[in-house]
Amino acid sequence: MAEIQVKDLKKTFRVQQKDPGFIGSVKSLFNRQYQDINAVAGVSFEINQSELVGFIGPNGAGKTTTLKMLAGLLYPTSGEVSVLGFTPWDRKPEFQKQFSLVMGQKNQLWWDLPAMESFILNKEIYEIPDAKFKSNLDQLVDLLDVRPLLKTQVRKLSLGQRMKMELIAALLHTPRILFLDEPTIGLDVVMQKKMRDFIKEYNRSFHSTIILTSHYMEDVKDLCRRVIIIDNGKILFDGLLSDIVNKFSKHKTITVVFDRPVEKRELLKLAEIREFNFPRAVLTVDRVSVSAVAGKLLQDFPVADLNIEEPVIEDIIREVFTNHRPS
Amino acid sequence: MRRYLAVFLIDWQNQFVYRLNFLLWRLRNILRLLMTFFLWKGIYQTGSAVFGFSQPQMFSYILLVLLVQSIILSAPSADNIGGEIGSGDLSNYLVKPISYLKYWFVRDLSSKLLNVICALIEIFLLWLIFRPELVLNFSVSSLIGFLLICLVSVPAYYFLSLLTRFVSFWNPENTWGLSFLIIIFIETLAGSIFPLDILPAWGKLAVQFTPFPYLIYYPAAIFLGKITGFYLLRILLQAFIWMLILFFFARLVWIKGLRVYGAEGK
Repeated sequence: MAEIQVKDLKKTFRVQQKDPGFIGSVKSLFNRQYQDINAVAGVSFEINQSELVGFIGPNGAGKTTTLKMLAGLLYPTSGEVSVLGFTPWDRKPEFQKQFSLVMGQKNQLWWDLPAMESFILNKEIYEIPDAKFKSNLDQLVDLLDVRPLLKTQVRKLSLGQRMKMELIAALLHTPRILFLDEPTIGLDVVMQKKMRDFIKEYNRSFHSTIILTSHYMEDVKDLCRRVIIIDNGKILFDGLLSDIVNKFSKHKTITVVFDRPVEKRELLKLAEIREFNFPRAVLTVDRVSVSAVAGKLLQDFPVADLNIEEPVIEDIIREVFTNHRPS
Repeated sequence: MRRYLAVFLIDWQNQFVYRLNFLLWRLRNILRLLMTFFLWKGIYQTGSAVFGFSQPQMFSYILLVLLVQSIILSAPSADNIGGEIGSGDLSNYLVKPISYLKYWFVRDLSSKLLNVICALIEIFLLWLIFRPELVLNFSVSSLIGFLLICLVSVPAYYFLSLLTRFVSFWNPENTWGLSFLIIIFIETLAGSIFPLDILPAWGKLAVQFTPFPYLIYYPAAIFLGKITGFYLLRILLQAFIWMLILFFFARLVWIKGLRVYGAEGK
């Protein structure tokens, strides 16, 4: 049975509307206008043990709202969720001891005390036995390389260091399920890479199930085999990352380098030209006719070099989002 | 239980981080006390008994209020819960196997302990400096009565202050102003500023039907030996009933509030 089962999940928020400016503020004191926002509009999926799944979608797509319902923070408007056999919003301690939610922009550490104090508090909250606490802490501290910082006040740590400590605090009880909401937000490239390596390693050694949301395609490309694309509260795609290309991109790119000058007109008969800068041309070609076009090029033109490429995933996803947006 | 002991210990450490803040807060209490002290000293120059209180009785009341306030009213939860609901920081606790309301209650207890220790030192110092004449009808029964009513009124005040902070569920933008207003109102009606005996008859009667006097006035009056015997038992019972009523309301609003909680701020 899947560890996480979500069936037709919906969440509608009532959001207060306010006209701009002072007059608007006064008006809203007396006559509040509300609008219903379908943050999550019927989402279903299943996730198995030790899967590492990426949630992607633009801002306001419904990723975080879905995650919050899975963590039991929000009650859904309708639909069913089962995580490890529990209904998340019942907030049973037996359930809470088995997962962790890490939000890149939220702190659980005590700001004015060294991180170690927060770890000790979590040890008691999650009822982690002494021996297990010690070995987990040692392992995590070494993996993330923060041993010298354990006695430093959290407020004195850099963002990256703090994020590592947040991760440790969230992982001390070795959760079977981990929800990571923008875990690399605000971090520099080197730190992002370290974070990703850590998440990968954690997933491998503890066989924990991980759901990750991120704005950085790098995170998703590096970590997740499976992705769920959400926009406007609906799932647009649920499958292997590598399948996105086949599903959404109807085009491939052919880059040719010519020996001698060629007529642009002649090229246009074959394909759409994205870029033409002698001796190099980049053509966009229908997926189905790629081989035919390539053959023609080689036969009829003075070709020195020819390359057929899949479009980059970032471009495809951008295309998907633009095409699905109502505007 | 151990997890709440850990909360107590970490909060205890945390309190010493804001040394300056704490010192200023205590200073504020002393200044307020001195103001009341001199105000009454002035009033007593016109006569020997005001509103049925002799000068030693009044000064004893004022010093005692300092102690009772530190037991009942010192509660960092009141400064934080509204903000944590509004900012979405509440989410940090909701995902953990710990009760948010017990968590803050324990932190309040830790703060009360520190405040009581400081209050005792301050009362001693004030007494040393001004050497006012005090009335202390120490009896075992009033001491037990005092401890019992504190045991009931500490949670009662917690539930009451929770109710004012839970407004944030429905109105996350601002509750600070509202809460502040309510707290001043509560403190006055509880008897922090003056003993409630000086209210006109109708005022005294009205206040008796609210939970407020059980927070400061009754505990102080019990300690001073003004309330004894059967009357004491009645007050204790009424305090207990108020505590239960506030508990059920706070619980109800908490459950309803979580339903509308938006877990904002990412």
